[in-house]
Amino acid sequence: MSDRKLPRLLQTPAVLLLLVWMLIPLGMTLYFSFIRYVLNNLRRPEWTSPSPSNWRGFGNYEFVLKSKDFFLAIQNSLFIVCSILFLTVILGILIAVLINKTFPGQGIVRVLLISPFFVMPAVNAVLWINMILDPVLGLQGIAIAGINDVLDGLRQIPILGAFFSLWPEFEPISFRATQTSAIAVIMMVTWQWTPFAVLIFMTSLQSEDQQQKEAAVLDGANTWSQFRFLTLPHLGRPIAIVVMIQAIFHLSLYAEIEIVSRGNGNKNLPYLIGEFANNNIGAASATGIFAVILANIVAIFLLRMVGKTLME
Amino acid sequence: MGRIVLDQVSKTFGDVEVIPPLDLTIEDGEFTVFVGPSGCGKSTLLRMIAGLEDLTSGAIEIDGEDVTEVSPSKRGLAMVFQSYALYPHMTVRKNIGFPLRMEKMQQTEIDKRVETAAQSLNLMDYLDRKPGQLSGGQRQRVAIGRAIVRDPSAFLFDEPLSNLDAALRVGMRLEISEMHERMRTTMIYVTHDQVEAMTMANKIVVLQAGRIEQVGSPLDLYHKPQNVFVAGFIGSPKMNIFSGPEAEKNGAHTIGIRPEHTDVSMTAGTWEGRVGVAEHLGSDTFIHVNDTGLADMFTVRITGDISVKHGDKIYLTPRADQIHKFDVQGQRIE
Repeated sequence: MSDRKLPRLLQTPAVLLLLVWMLIPLGMTLYFSFIRYVLNNLRRPEWTSPSPSNWRGFGNYEFVLKSKDFFLAIQNSLFIVCSILFLTVILGILIAVLINKTFPGQGIVRVLLISPFFVMPAVNAVLWINMILDPVLGLQGIAIAGINDVLDGLRQIPILGAFFSLWPEFEPISFRATQTSAIAVIMMVTWQWTPFAVLIFMTSLQSEDQQQKEAAVLDGANTWSQFRFLTLPHLGRPIAIVVMIQAIFHLSLYAEIEIVSRGNGNKNLPYLIGEFANNNIGAASATGIFAVILANIVAIFLLRMVGKTLME
Repeated sequence: MGRIVLDQVSKTFGDVEVIPPLDLTIEDGEFTVFVGPSGCGKSTLLRMIAGLEDLTSGAIEIDGEDVTEVSPSKRGLAMVFQSYALYPHMTVRKNIGFPLRMEKMQQTEIDKRVETAAQSLNLMDYLDRKPGQLSGGQRQRVAIGRAIVRDPSAFLFDEPLSNLDAALRVGMRLEISEMHERMRTTMIYVTHDQVEAMTMANKIVVLQAGRIEQVGSPLDLYHKPQNVFVAGFIGSPKMNIFSGPEAEKNGAHTIGIRPEHTDVSMTAGTWEGRVGVAEHLGSDTFIHVNDTGLADMFTVRITGDISVKHGDKIYLTPRADQIHKFDVQGQRIE
């Protein structure tokens, strides 16, 4: 027994720190979610300090469930996360397979491909929404204005011009609008995180057994069959890892949503928490508990998926 | 059918000539072994026949048809790799059936053929396992099964046994020989192990630095090595090869005498030396003799047992009719 005591003793500070780190915030969130607690209320000043006498039961949860943005936030959280996962995995595999071949300038291309990952999320969002997606000043606006100019020129041509007059003017899309801001967020985060997927897939492709491929060539497998039956199964585990890590990160997206539309028409759970937290800490805490539940559901799904590929 | 003809085939990687132009004919149904030290180009030659390496020049014919530009899968050859190269995500059944699936064969026909192959290789109990759950010998069998189902005109083996332990290797060696006796299909087998070459081959091709040193039956190579390299490479323990006055007495620049063709006496003989290490195998004894003045070390092999101690004086007498003579270029003198 005594030889186990010392290691346990030495572990204690780390374990205690972890417990404190996790359990205290979670406990406080739970506590706040069951009381009335606001930062500022002139009529009921007693609500501005947390106290059990302000007990509200499940009132905060009811309030959150009835608020008009809650289901939009859940739906948006899932929509944004799933879209980003889908796009980064597909793009990541395609790019990784493409640059896995040897070609001149390979090193530079790889470094450039990884670089978006080193841009800060807020900077990334500002760059995209202002310089690329802006309907007037951004690349999008300039490109569409250019296309319209070309079309105008074509309409001036005798005879043929009549045909082009039937074409409509192209309209730039505003990505700050209610319907499109989630798309903008998906685009910029996909751009930023595809390199992460490429990096993971590329290392995995480099460990692929070349003799297996040669055997497959002799067995009559064409390039597609080799990809389908050898490369894709080989990538199963890295795909699971990429999905898992990205899901954790993207469930808590905040900066991009704030910068694109300040949450207009495009909220996710963390953003909703932020909004409630401007004043209503009780409701923010209740939303936080919902976010924990959602994250757990997603995590269980993902762990099953990862576990399945690891079992193979 | 599977007659393979290499015509002035050569291979260079950049500036390095791995295989200078060479000619070779492998007859239908023959078990041919390419043997040579590592880096002699034997695997490259096999990969060129398979179509996995392009030829720098020359042509390859299979059954009279020029296949130099034909893709690997269309050559009708099946290859077994050193690392087995099984597909790790597929079951044994899927692995063996993969080439048939790529041919778009009917599933029922695939199942039938896979089971026939599995039966002949004792793999029936493992069909639904993944390669990771099999032992080395079983994996090797699966790799052979994957080659058999295609019913190829020739089998290519690239050092298939070198990842197995010694006991298994002997067993698999017999199984492959048995398989050849049964199927009578052309087989080309690459190895660096001259014991494998001697025991399995109808025809051995000895390669060194991409050149063919000698082609012949195992016993041809043993009894009449064409040059010093083959003499030293074939046979275990190695032939004693030396130059000097003793060689000139026999009318040659270099002579070679196999360990088993030397008689030993403690009292009198042609050459005198001192016992170094004696290795007692029970059935045989290998004695490494020092200070003979002929070569650094002279090895003799005696059937049965003999009691000698380190440092004992010993006399050696070569059997005159078993002395191999070579000229200055290292070529055999009859």
